[in-house]
Amino acid sequence: MYQVEASKALLKPRLWARQSARLRVPRNVVMLGMVSLLTDVSSEMVATVLPMYLIFSLGASPLVFGAIDGTYRGAAALVQVASGFTSDRWRRHKEVAGLGYGLSALGKVALLAAGNTIGGVGAIVAVDRVGKGIRTAPRDALISLSSAKDKLATSFGVHRAMDSVGAMLGPLIAFGILFLAPARFDAVFVVSTLFAVLGLAVLILNVEGKPRRAPRDGTPPQFRAALALLKDRGFAPLLIAAAGLSIASVSDALIYVGLQRTIDFEPAVFPLLYVMTAITFMALAIPVGQLADRIGKVPVLLAGQALLFVVYGVLLMSSVGYVALIVCLVALGGYFAATEGVLTALAGAVLPEKLQASGIGILITVVSLGRLVSSVAFGALWFAIGLHSAILIFAAALGLAMCLAAPLLLRAQGAALDG
Amino acid sequence: MASRGGKITVALVVVCVLLGGGYVVYAALGPSQTTTDASPRAGEAADVAVMVRAVDPSSPTLNGGVFVVEDGKVRRRSKDLACERVYYSAGRGICMGVASSGVDYTASVFDDKLAPEHSIRLTGLPSRARVSADGRYGAMTVFVSGDAYLDSSVAFSTRTYLVDMKSGETIEQLERFGVEKDGEPIDAVDFNFWGITFDPADSDRFYATLGTGSHHYLVEGSVRGRSMRVLRDGVECPSLSPDGKQIAFKSRIGDSNRWRLHVLDVATLEDHPVAEKRSIDDQAEWLDDDTLVYSDETNVYTVPADGSGEPALLVRDATSPVALRN
Repeated sequence: MYQVEASKALLKPRLWARQSARLRVPRNVVMLGMVSLLTDVSSEMVATVLPMYLIFSLGASPLVFGAIDGTYRGAAALVQVASGFTSDRWRRHKEVAGLGYGLSALGKVALLAAGNTIGGVGAIVAVDRVGKGIRTAPRDALISLSSAKDKLATSFGVHRAMDSVGAMLGPLIAFGILFLAPARFDAVFVVSTLFAVLGLAVLILNVEGKPRRAPRDGTPPQFRAALALLKDRGFAPLLIAAAGLSIASVSDALIYVGLQRTIDFEPAVFPLLYVMTAITFMALAIPVGQLADRIGKVPVLLAGQALLFVVYGVLLMSSVGYVALIVCLVALGGYFAATEGVLTALAGAVLPEKLQASGIGILITVVSLGRLVSSVAFGALWFAIGLHSAILIFAAALGLAMCLAAPLLLRAQGAALDG
Repeated sequence: MASRGGKITVALVVVCVLLGGGYVVYAALGPSQTTTDASPRAGEAADVAVMVRAVDPSSPTLNGGVFVVEDGKVRRRSKDLACERVYYSAGRGICMGVASSGVDYTASVFDDKLAPEHSIRLTGLPSRARVSADGRYGAMTVFVSGDAYLDSSVAFSTRTYLVDMKSGETIEQLERFGVEKDGEPIDAVDFNFWGITFDPADSDRFYATLGTGSHHYLVEGSVRGRSMRVLRDGVECPSLSPDGKQIAFKSRIGDSNRWRLHVLDVATLEDHPVAEKRSIDDQAEWLDDDTLVYSDETNVYTVPADGSGEPALLVRDATSPVALRN
């Protein structure tokens, strides 16, 4: 019944309709992608102009900006596990995700109303990040529950690609507005608020909160059951593999710092590095997801991880020309496309329906802790023995982590097929 | 249900496009906020000449006209420059500011008529600008966000560029110079450099700050040698006196973001505070061998370098002072 009505809705532009028909992506996934796209446009618009706004309009010193930017980080991590479990327990993934999107939208309104003090801006940025922390796990659970188990990687690929389109459009729109109306940051905030409200509206009006795989009967899960995921025969190996791989992977931020020390050309080229990686990611996320559904998520995930060796190789070169740089950035974009979304899809296949959001929340937290360990370790190694030796050690660690992760991931995938 | 939800969504999209588009048009047609109308007012009359950047205390939005204040009178202003930071020496100056598009940062190299000659695209927020006494080299520090290393956008970092003032070309990025400490090469992921000052007698020689971990090292470097060595800790934004014998700098109070101005003896590396008791976040400038000139982001003050006396107001509503010695 619902599917028939959905096809009549014709909300999405023609092109999308045709493409998603060919891809056979559930409408709910496309709608969730649209929510993320609109919300990312909104957030990235603000993130792009915030430094300029603080310094030129509020007269803040760049150090204050550093402190405010720092609050971006810590705020999100803690709430992920809690929001994941809560949405499983209440069976209200859409509502909990909506709370997260709503908080971020409220933050944009607050920026208009009370963004003229530095403390106010700091608080608003923190609220925005908490909103992001709340919504991620239930949103990913909804994507997973909306998809058939053999189409999970394609669904996550579509969502991540749409998400990154939003992240690319945001800065462009912000710059466009400031170009038309120089220094009118209020206009940027107004348009950003409208995008956030639209994102929330698409979620409320067009996303089905009880998709096909959503559990409809049985008792609500206990917290003990969520904890037991840590010992689950499918999910536990997945978590261990994910932790190992994230510890052995140098973060993208550090890779860019390394490239900037190695590169021989104009500083003006640097912003293009991020753009190039993002475009590669955008282009590859969907085909890589389809490939993972066809030949298996584990080989695609491991091949994606292996692309990091190319990146490390370029960082080890004594001088980096344009060709090497492009190879490096394409490899980096491919690595992103073949890892994060595919890993979440694998988790979606392994996890029981009633604990999807809890498990994904745990996975995101483990991966971000792994990245933190990785960054601290890489920074310490760089200081102690230099950039090149640090990369060699990380390349060895990545090889080891991949050898250990392969059997663990295959065991997880096997458990998913049994279940 | 779904189709009604769809119709409401389409209606909302239309409303949002109209509201957003309307507001942008309204803002674009409204009065421009990128004025450079602010002008400084001379404080205590003194027979000195300084170049300053004007600020309007009531609305600090995008100011930055450049003025020369001489003998207690505001002499002239630039027509074409709008700067966040300005410096000038031997007929050539650097103005770091917002590009005319209003959405990007740019620096111009200008001549003795305050007319721009070259422009250089900047990759971050303007922080410090200096020109060597002979007008040969320029140095610029910008703040960059997005490549901090624990997570994207954790903190911010700095980048310092050396510029050939004649051609307006970037010569090198300080981050790519080698650094030695106690005779050993050192390196770390969080190396940040800022606040170059050139030796007035030899523009190849410079001092700067190297920040890493909780350290703020004073480094001495060579442009041609592409190298630096660490001299001591606890020195930010050094500034060499005209006779090359003393360095004024920001001394951090604990690990806060508050600083006192100090002066150190180049020969002994010993330092003492000056009479300014407030926290100052500026790279001080030398009016002569005995007097510092600096700004508190609102006004420009002078203070004796030997620690005696009191701060004196030199120019109201101005920052980024440059001593003009002929």
